[in-house]
Amino acid sequence: MNRRHFLQLSVAAVSAMGLGGCSGPVPLRTGIHPWIGYEPLYLAEEFGWLPGSVELVKGAAATDSMRGLLSGELDAAAITLDEALRVFSEGVPLRVVAVADVSVGADVLVVKPDIASLSDLRGCSIGVELAGVSGVMLFAMLERIGLTSDQVSLVDLPVDRHLEAWHNGDIDASICYEPTASLLAQAGGSRLFDSSQMPDTIFDVLVVTEQAARRRPDAVRDLVYGHFRGLRHLVRSMHDAVYRVATRQGVSPDAVRQSLATVMLPELAANQRYLAYHGRIEVVARRLTEVLIREGMMQTAPVYERLADPSFLPRSVS
Amino acid sequence: MSFRSFAYSLVLFSAIAGAWSSTVQAAQGVTLGIFAYRPEPVIQQRYAPLADYLSHESGLPVRLLVLNQEDMNRALATNQIDFFLTNPSHFLVIRSDRSLTGVLATLERDWQGQSTGSIGGVILTRAGRDDINRLEDVRGKSIATPGMHFLGGYQAPALELMDAGVDILRHNRVVHLNSHDRVIRAVQTGDTDIGFIRTGVLEELLLGSPDLMAGLKVVNQQQLSGYPFVVSTRLYPEWPFVSLPHVDSRVVRRIASALFALEQDHPAAKAAYIRGFSPPADYQSVETLARTLRMAPYDQVPRVTWLDVLNQYRVWGITVVLLFISLMITSLWLSRQRRQLAIEERRLRGLIASWPQPMLMIRDAALVECNRAAVELVSYTSEASLLGKGLQAFSPHSQPDGTSSLQKMDTLIRRVGAGEVAQCEWLLVRSDGSEVWVDMTLAPVYEKGQEAPSILCSWYDINRRKHAEERQRLALRVFEHAREAIFITDAHGVVMDINEAYTRITGREHRSAVGSLPPLPLDEGSAILIAARKHGVWAGEFASRHWDGHATMLSLTLSSVFDDHGGLSHFVGTFTDITQLKETEKQLRTLAHFDALTGLPNRVLFSDRLHQSMAQARRQAYQLAVIYIDLDHFKPVNDAFGHDAGDGLLIELARRMRATLREEDTLARLGGDEFAVIVVNVADEPTLQALLSRLLITVSESVWVADHSVEVSASLGYTLYPQDIEMDGDQLLRQADQAMYHAKRDGKNRYCKFSDSGT
Repeated sequence: MNRRHFLQLSVAAVSAMGLGGCSGPVPLRTGIHPWIGYEPLYLAEEFGWLPGSVELVKGAAATDSMRGLLSGELDAAAITLDEALRVFSEGVPLRVVAVADVSVGADVLVVKPDIASLSDLRGCSIGVELAGVSGVMLFAMLERIGLTSDQVSLVDLPVDRHLEAWHNGDIDASICYEPTASLLAQAGGSRLFDSSQMPDTIFDVLVVTEQAARRRPDAVRDLVYGHFRGLRHLVRSMHDAVYRVATRQGVSPDAVRQSLATVMLPELAANQRYLAYHGRIEVVARRLTEVLIREGMMQTAPVYERLADPSFLPRSVS
Repeated sequence: MSFRSFAYSLVLFSAIAGAWSSTVQAAQGVTLGIFAYRPEPVIQQRYAPLADYLSHESGLPVRLLVLNQEDMNRALATNQIDFFLTNPSHFLVIRSDRSLTGVLATLERDWQGQSTGSIGGVILTRAGRDDINRLEDVRGKSIATPGMHFLGGYQAPALELMDAGVDILRHNRVVHLNSHDRVIRAVQTGDTDIGFIRTGVLEELLLGSPDLMAGLKVVNQQQLSGYPFVVSTRLYPEWPFVSLPHVDSRVVRRIASALFALEQDHPAAKAAYIRGFSPPADYQSVETLARTLRMAPYDQVPRVTWLDVLNQYRVWGITVVLLFISLMITSLWLSRQRRQLAIEERRLRGLIASWPQPMLMIRDAALVECNRAAVELVSYTSEASLLGKGLQAFSPHSQPDGTSSLQKMDTLIRRVGAGEVAQCEWLLVRSDGSEVWVDMTLAPVYEKGQEAPSILCSWYDINRRKHAEERQRLALRVFEHAREAIFITDAHGVVMDINEAYTRITGREHRSAVGSLPPLPLDEGSAILIAARKHGVWAGEFASRHWDGHATMLSLTLSSVFDDHGGLSHFVGTFTDITQLKETEKQLRTLAHFDALTGLPNRVLFSDRLHQSMAQARRQAYQLAVIYIDLDHFKPVNDAFGHDAGDGLLIELARRMRATLREEDTLARLGGDEFAVIVVNVADEPTLQALLSRLLITVSESVWVADHSVEVSASLGYTLYPQDIEMDGDQLLRQADQAMYHAKRDGKNRYCKFSDSGT
């Protein structure tokens, strides 16, 4: 269960991943699922800022996009960086062409009241959805407090079952996100740690396959441009955007405002910085690769010269 | 007053004025202007509690002024307002007028438990309008709006329509009605097809008249969960609450804190249908909207100086300038080239037009161009009379070689079409019917874009040449077939050409005659060339020899031919063979002086000889004798044996007498049977008498004529010269005749000397 799945109250119909046909220019098929960081692309589509060269293939969760990339049905996708690395290691070379958002507090560690500090975590059982981005958060956190995964007892559990486990006393701590985090807090838990304390670690990115980047650079440019145009509307016309996001996600405008507060939406200049050679994305990707391999969540390290490619970023957004 | 002290006093004055105004405010309270987006009483009623609340909370009397946009602008211009609340579009205009900064808060509207800080526009039409369903359908329809500076009531819908491709200022008739209520009425009554209003107005009116929506329809309705109002457009931040710069900052703080302290369940908030006030929103989206629509305060395109452009687009600018310069240079160069080409073309055209040789251009077997010379050659008056016609129009039905003109021209054009250059002689017919020979050259001219080549045709008038050729041919025929021999030599007399007659007369073949001298007189030789050169002509007769050796007589006329500079270049000679003529002439001459029967000199020649001999005798002082001989008994012989026998007798006797005489003596037959002899150089009388005796004997010997032996005798009389008196030949012969007569009388067969005695 992906952490963003809870936002999926109204699941967008998964468009048929049918054959694109051999004649005419096939649009760049881009996998996407509801998440505040990916909203710019939805907005761009809604306002008609995506040209015909880009087609959004709307899935329910990140797993849909990963599956699509691996099967070759998708040319691009909006996923987290660790998900991208996993797809890469399974044999589909990718390039990161834009950073959609950086988590600043979306992922939190909620603990039982008797745990006062991070060091008290030793020996505790921690509920975590290992396959998702929560796993990344956990390992990054453990690394930070100097513990190994052996020194805690990990309970691999989908986030939506954490509350139940909490009440049953199966877990002493939970790595989760809204709304589970709030529910656990109401049940007496306290927020001991969140992703805002690990800045620039959890990235949501736009990736394209190596093949698409080489063969259809114009379509990739259109995709990236559409994202930034949507992003500008989201930021500048937030009075409008919140209602549209809320409508699509089926939540209240206030909930959208709250979730916007848990992410950073980097603008063009910030993207240039993140995607630079040996920039933040590539540094984090290397560290993530080490962690994922060490924890047995990835078999082989993806081989690439450049993972991040800023060449598709527009000069400006008009 | 120095500048410094002036500035100081200015600052002082401002400080005093500011302090004064704040005291005034403190004493008199502040004025809150509210824009009347609905009818003024409605707004007055809703916002009066808010003014009271602010008065109460801030401790300052707050006076409420409900104004429309014009009134508010006027009030602002005169500083009658300290705070105001208006729609964001209007705020932008005011802000740009006054350089305001102070948005204190953004209004948070409340509607039946739901709150929102966003405002949008509603596009309305009547429910029955089936033709208006989408934004695109609005094109061309009449539109009612409250005014240009209304965000929901104008700008927001205008942008949505612009995105849908409808520019309402160009495509629609727009009426401004100053209030949302009037817009709705205009749509309801059908005065306009479309109405623009802001969000919330419809819902407020629905409270009073719930069946309002039955007659209305919302175009492009947005489905936005959590938004309490019907909306057709994207959303923008709600109204700003603004303080003006002249207001004292302490007053502003007090009002601001009162605003933020307003709770949603406070009666003032409820009366105004608001949740309260939130921190100032980002009005950039409204600015972008106004900029996109080019509306006030962004209706003026900012004045961009050249320097700005240059700074921003330096590389582009330089590139464009360079391109422009190169374009200018290129176009200058091109125009110069074009001018030169035009001059060149004019010159060529003039050259061709005035070129004396006729030239024509043929395309698809018809003339498309020709020059003056061509027109003149065929004696037409203008080019137009030639153009468009085929060449056969100026040709006889058939050419001299027998083929028809049309057929021959077709063949030529086909050959030229295959890329050949054709040349031939061609007969043209002038407009006056006369014929003219031309040498015609046809050459293909390949022009771009044409499959078959055009044909350049030039004529060369060869009429004169043709006539000259004709004359030459005639001359040659004359030369060849003349009966007279004709030859041409060079200046030295060496033969260059001869005709057939030459060969016939001289027997020399052309081969051997050419290169050698022509027949010339033996004595004068090539001197006649000099004579001919000197006098222009030489004519004469001379003996020559035929190639096979026989003698000929030629009559030659040799003319000298002079070149243009008067120098001798050739001799032309003509001669005829006059051998036959000469022979005849000689025979005629013999007939006149000799006796045809005996061949002896006749009386004429005898007289001549006698005359000469007498002169000689006188000169050389010797004696001569004249003997007159008459045959005796000749007539009987003639009668007995016929004239032929007589003639034979005469011939035999003449021969015998001739043989008896000396060579230098002359025997002549004077007629019939009479003869005479001149004996020159007579030594003495006895010698003469001996001769006489011999003559008598000779004559008297028998002669065999006509198978008969005949015997005749002769009577001779003689006389001598000179005598005592001078006498002429006739007298001398008469003397001899008289002496002969004496001899006859004395018995015949004897001789007798003349004597004066008369015996």
